[in-house]
Amino acid sequence: MDLKTLTEAFGPSGCEQEVRALLKDAAQALCDDVSIDRAGNLVCRKKGRDPMKPSVAFAAHMDEIGFIITGHTEDGLLRFRPVGGVDPRVVVSKWVVIGKERLPGVIGAMAIHLQTPADRERVLDYDNLYIDIGAKDAKEAEKLCPLGSYAVFDTPYTEFGEGFVAARALDDRVGCLNLLQILASDYAGDLCCVFVTQEEVGLRGSKGAAFHIQPDIAVILEGTAANDLGDTRERFQVCVPGQGVAVSFMDLASIADRQLFQQMREVAKERGIPHQVKRSVTGGNDAGSFQQAGKGARTVVLSVPCRYIHSGNNVASLSDIKAQADLAVAFLHSL
Amino acid sequence: MRTEDFLREITALKGLSGDEGLVSAFVAEAFAPYCDEVKVDGMFNVIARKKGSGPKVMFAAHLDEIGLMVVAIEEDGSLRLGQVGGVDPRILPGQRVWVYGRKKLLGIIGAKAPHLLSEEERAKNYKREDLYVDLGMGAAKVKELVHIGDQVQLEHRYTALQNSRASVKTCDDRACVAMMFEALQQLKNLRHEADLYFVATSQEEVGSRGAGTGAFALDPDYAVALDVCHADTPGAPGWRTHKPDSLVASMGPYIHPVLRSKLTETAQENNITLQTAVVPRYTSTDADEIGESRSGVPTALLELPLKYMHTTVETLDTKVLKEGGRLLAQFAARVNEGWEDELWT
Repeated sequence: MDLKTLTEAFGPSGCEQEVRALLKDAAQALCDDVSIDRAGNLVCRKKGRDPMKPSVAFAAHMDEIGFIITGHTEDGLLRFRPVGGVDPRVVVSKWVVIGKERLPGVIGAMAIHLQTPADRERVLDYDNLYIDIGAKDAKEAEKLCPLGSYAVFDTPYTEFGEGFVAARALDDRVGCLNLLQILASDYAGDLCCVFVTQEEVGLRGSKGAAFHIQPDIAVILEGTAANDLGDTRERFQVCVPGQGVAVSFMDLASIADRQLFQQMREVAKERGIPHQVKRSVTGGNDAGSFQQAGKGARTVVLSVPCRYIHSGNNVASLSDIKAQADLAVAFLHSL
Repeated sequence: MRTEDFLREITALKGLSGDEGLVSAFVAEAFAPYCDEVKVDGMFNVIARKKGSGPKVMFAAHLDEIGLMVVAIEEDGSLRLGQVGGVDPRILPGQRVWVYGRKKLLGIIGAKAPHLLSEEERAKNYKREDLYVDLGMGAAKVKELVHIGDQVQLEHRYTALQNSRASVKTCDDRACVAMMFEALQQLKNLRHEADLYFVATSQEEVGSRGAGTGAFALDPDYAVALDVCHADTPGAPGWRTHKPDSLVASMGPYIHPVLRSKLTETAQENNITLQTAVVPRYTSTDADEIGESRSGVPTALLELPLKYMHTTVETLDTKVLKEGGRLLAQFAARVNEGWEDELWT
C-alpha cells in the first residue's frame, strides 16, 4: 500500500467503502483477525502473548472532507453542501469528482468582469456555489448525480519541493498508511489497529470503536493544521512541516495523558526521531472518543503537520509521515 | 490534429501576456500545413496567410493568458503575488500553480486559516495581498531558484464534461485560436477570392497591444475579431450573458453594421444559429484596436460563450467552437471585391 493509492481513494464521511476495501486487503496480509464493526470501522486485532503488557489501540480515520449533492438547477447545475468543515473560499474554480464512478465536475463562479464591487468582497457561500458537470437540464443532472451523491476534490498525488507532498485527504490517510506499519510490527501485548469512519463529521466512528475495543492505551494518528506560513502571527502557528511528528498535550477534544505525552517525547529523543510539540490548542480528534468511552482509556495523539488541511491540496512533509510511523512503533516497543 | 486536441494542447502552454513565444511557436507550426506563409512578429503575433487575389481579410484571436508574477519573497520562503491581466483573487486559495523560476516549480496558494480570521475578515474574500505561494521548500532554496518577476501560471487541466462541453483554463481566448484552426481545415475544401490572414494576437489581456501593431502592419480591408463572451452563470445579470449552445455576433458603434450583416447572412445560409449581443460602446476585445488601426478598418466581432471566464475551469461547448470554425471558413469564402461598394449603403 502506498500513499498515492490511499489519497486518491474516494472516501468522504459516510462513504468510506472504497478506502475500507483497500485497507482491508492490506490488513489481511498482516493480521488474522480483521473485522468490520457496526459503525463501519475496520478493526484489526493481534492477540498478545504477555498478559502483563497493556493493551494498546492505534486509530486513524479513513474518511475525508468532501461534498454531498443537495439539488439540481433548471440549467443542469448541482447544488451541494460540504461534508465536514470546508471553507467555501477554497472551492471556487476547483475540480471535483462525483460518486465512485468519478464523474468529473467543476466549481465555477461568475467572471470577474461581471462582479459588482460588493460581489468582489462577499464570500461565495454554499447557497451560491454550484458544481457543473455539463448537464443541460435538471433531469439530466439528476439522472447522473442523484440527491445524496458524494463528491470530493479531484487532486492528484504530487511530490514537490524539498520532500513535500501535495494531495487530497492527507488528513488522515497518512495515519491509515502508518497504521498498517504498526500492524506489521511485533508487540507482546494485545494490539488493535482500527481504521475509523466519520471523524470529520463529529468523531462518530471512533465512539463505537472505543466502546467495544476498550484498550488500556489509545494512540491516535492524525494530520493536524500547521498554520506556519504567511501572515499567521507566531503565537497562532501550530507546528512546522518538515520538523517532525507533532505530539499534542491538549486539543479541543482531549487532554493527553501526561505520562504518555512525556514518554512519547523521551522515546523520540532516544531514538533520534524528528518530533515537535503541537503548540496550539486547536482542533479535535478521535482521542476524545477513546478517552471517554466505556471505562475510558489513556490517550495521546501523534500528528503529521499539514498545511491547508481542509482544502483540495493538503501539503505535508514525507519525513514527518515517516516520523509518525517510526515514533508509533518505537513507543509500542518501549511499553 | 483534432480541434479538441489543439485546444487541450494550446491551453497547457505558458504564454502570459508579453511572453507568448511558446504559444506562438505552437500555433505557427499547427497552422503552417494549411497556409501559404506563416510568420511570428516581434510582438509574438502569429500571422498565417492563405493567399488570394481579392480583399485582405484579418481574423484575429488572442493567444496570451492571464497569470501571476512573483513580487516578493518572504523570510519563510513563501512568495507574494502580482497579477498579469485580471485574475480574480477568489479563485486562488488552495490552487496549484507553476512558478517559472530557474526550474519549473509546483506551488500551492495558501491563506491564513479561516478559524484565525476575525468575524469581519471571515465575511470577506481573501485579497491577492493576503495570499502566498508555498513551494514546499526552505527560504534558502527558494531564494536560489526564484526571483522577483518570475512568472506564475495557473494549473492546467482539461476536463471533458457531459454533452460535448469541456472545461479548461485559457479558453479565453485560445478557444478562438482553435476556432481559426478549425476554419483553416475547413477552408481546404473551399475556394476563396480574398487574401486571408489568420492572426493569433499577443497582449490582449493588458490592452490589445498585439492586435494594434498586428493590424497596423497588415493593413487589412476587413477584420473579424474572435473572442469569448460570458455564458449564463448563476448570479450574473442576464443581459450580459448568453446561452452556451450557440455563437454570438455583437452589434453597436464599434462593429461595422454591413460586415456584421455579411456574417449573419453567412450563418443563416449555413444553418448556424447566432445570438446577438448589444454593445453600446467599446467591446473590450481586439475588435476595438483593429477597428481604429490606420485610417480605420471595418470590423465585426464573433464571440464564443464561455462560463466562468478568467478561472481555471472556463467551460465551453466544443460543438459551438467547431460551428464557429465552419462559419469563419464560409465567411472567408464569401468575401469579394463587390463588398467595397456595399460598405456604406
